[in-house]
Amino acid sequence: MLEEILNSIVEMDEEAVEKARKYLDEGGEPQKLLEACRDAMGEIGARFEKGEYFLSELILGGEIFRQIMDFTLPKLKSGAAKKIGKMVLGTVKEDVHNIGKDIFKVFAEASGFEVVDLGVDTPEEKFVEAVKEHKPDIVGMSCLITAGVTSMKKTVDKLKEAGLRDSVKIIIGGGRVDETVKEFTGADAWSDDAAKGVRLCKQLIGLEG
Amino acid sequence: MACCVKELAEKRMARLMAAMNLEEPDRVPLVGVGGDVIPAYSGLTMEEYYFDTEKMVKAIEKFIKDFPCDWPFAALIAGLDGRVFNVAFSEYPDLSINLTFITGPMHKVLGDKYYRYPGMEISVDSSPQFIGGTFMEADEYDKLIADPVKFIAETVLPRACRNLENPRQAMATMMRLGREIDNFNALMGQIVGKMVENGYPAMAVGGAYAPLDLIGDFLRGVENVLLDLRRYPEKVKAATEALVEPITNYALAHKSMGANLAFIPLHLNEYLSPKLYKEFYWPTLKEIIERLVKEGFKVMVFFEGKHDPHLETILELPKGWGIAYFEKTDVVKAKEVLKGHTCVMGGLPMSLIVGGTPEQIDEHVKNLLEKVKPGGGFILAPGVSTAPRETPAENIKALAEAVEKYG
Repeated sequence: MLEEILNSIVEMDEEAVEKARKYLDEGGEPQKLLEACRDAMGEIGARFEKGEYFLSELILGGEIFRQIMDFTLPKLKSGAAKKIGKMVLGTVKEDVHNIGKDIFKVFAEASGFEVVDLGVDTPEEKFVEAVKEHKPDIVGMSCLITAGVTSMKKTVDKLKEAGLRDSVKIIIGGGRVDETVKEFTGADAWSDDAAKGVRLCKQLIGLEG
Repeated sequence: MACCVKELAEKRMARLMAAMNLEEPDRVPLVGVGGDVIPAYSGLTMEEYYFDTEKMVKAIEKFIKDFPCDWPFAALIAGLDGRVFNVAFSEYPDLSINLTFITGPMHKVLGDKYYRYPGMEISVDSSPQFIGGTFMEADEYDKLIADPVKFIAETVLPRACRNLENPRQAMATMMRLGREIDNFNALMGQIVGKMVENGYPAMAVGGAYAPLDLIGDFLRGVENVLLDLRRYPEKVKAATEALVEPITNYALAHKSMGANLAFIPLHLNEYLSPKLYKEFYWPTLKEIIERLVKEGFKVMVFFEGKHDPHLETILELPKGWGIAYFEKTDVVKAKEVLKGHTCVMGGLPMSLIVGGTPEQIDEHVKNLLEKVKPGGGFILAPGVSTAPRETPAENIKALAEAVEKYG
């Protein structure tokens, strides 16, 4: 059953949601279901990186995952879902786009990160406060418009000023980031796709990507 | 001076036309950067720039004077894509052509939920941004298919625009919108005048849109339309087919303003696998491009993101159809595939112009042009033409100098 659910998710079959519901109704273990779903998301990410899947599959896979999690997570014993790390995530100041950030968020959560989502148009100070409050391993910044690139640099600078830069790893993501932008902003890693982004996050905290 | 300005404009135009016609120009043409850097260069906030036409015209003039290029295409973008309004008005060609850009003042009049403008929903120094949204339910495809213009004008727009919610409001809003259209046309007239005065070709550019993008951007929202492709494939396909006619109609209406180039920015191309692209996206887009080419237009398509997986489909278009403008697709590879068939445009990552040094820019242009210049049919342009406010002036200058050297 779990393997069937896993395969359905990977193959973009929305019946996976009903199958998962049935699995739990029949006494299946939420913990095992969660693991199967996470494995499915890992496989979707891998297929994306191989060029077999595209953004539309990441979005649909994310949607199926989210729907299953809606009724699975409340059934999990607290602490049962082991987290591999904590991340503060937001679209940077003066950029109000959310799609890229949201796709990445689902995949980051599916791979075991606890994600604190700051939303869009996030002022530099809000990133600084969130780092102070949540003490994350990683700060993830997203942007779509080119103006976001300079907002990212300003945010990294603010984290430096606050003396917090060395306590976190910083990854930037979005359609317009590349190696040059990484150097320009002073981030530790960059990705313009969610699957690679999550893999890099794992590497940043010393896990295999 | 008048003679020289005219000559300069003719020279620039000839350069662009040669590239477009797949010939070798005297030098590789350069499309300039635009966007936020233009108001910043004149010390204006984004709000001042987008809501005060006089300031906008002055800032554009100063910018195109100080940073010469062959075609300041991006400097002419005075608003955000209004394609859903073009379609709603497609039965009235004289009005439809005025709504390709929704300016700041038009956004204010409409009270729409598609756009975010500086000084309104976002800070005075933010770029204007398109957000889109969901203004059509999944069970309404049949209505869209049956009569797309009626459905969009009468059902979608009253949902998407706070000031079109009822007929009384709509009356007042439309009168105000008409006033803003006049302002916009006066603005464009002034900008074109400044271009001519400064030796730039006054090329009138029309527009069209990919039917699936119209559904994704303006009706269903991007995430929803991607789910719809799986859930209701036949309906989505029929809807894209129904939109071909009104989109073609508004695109052809641009003939009346002397346009013979139609600009089509794509959005969902990068989201789709080749299978989905070929089934839901490309057939109707291709039909629109072919219709426009048959009517004497050249078409410029902006392939957003990475278009690599779909590159070969471009060869299905008639040879010399127009310009393929790439963002992140490797233009060297694209030129290899498309040479002798399609003019290729792009090649400059915005990150290099923002974060690089003049030396790095020189080096990049040198290496790139060595590969793509031979044989012509290439236009050098930033992958995304919107340069942020902090873009260093010396980098924009370095770009023009490098093209003079290596072009």
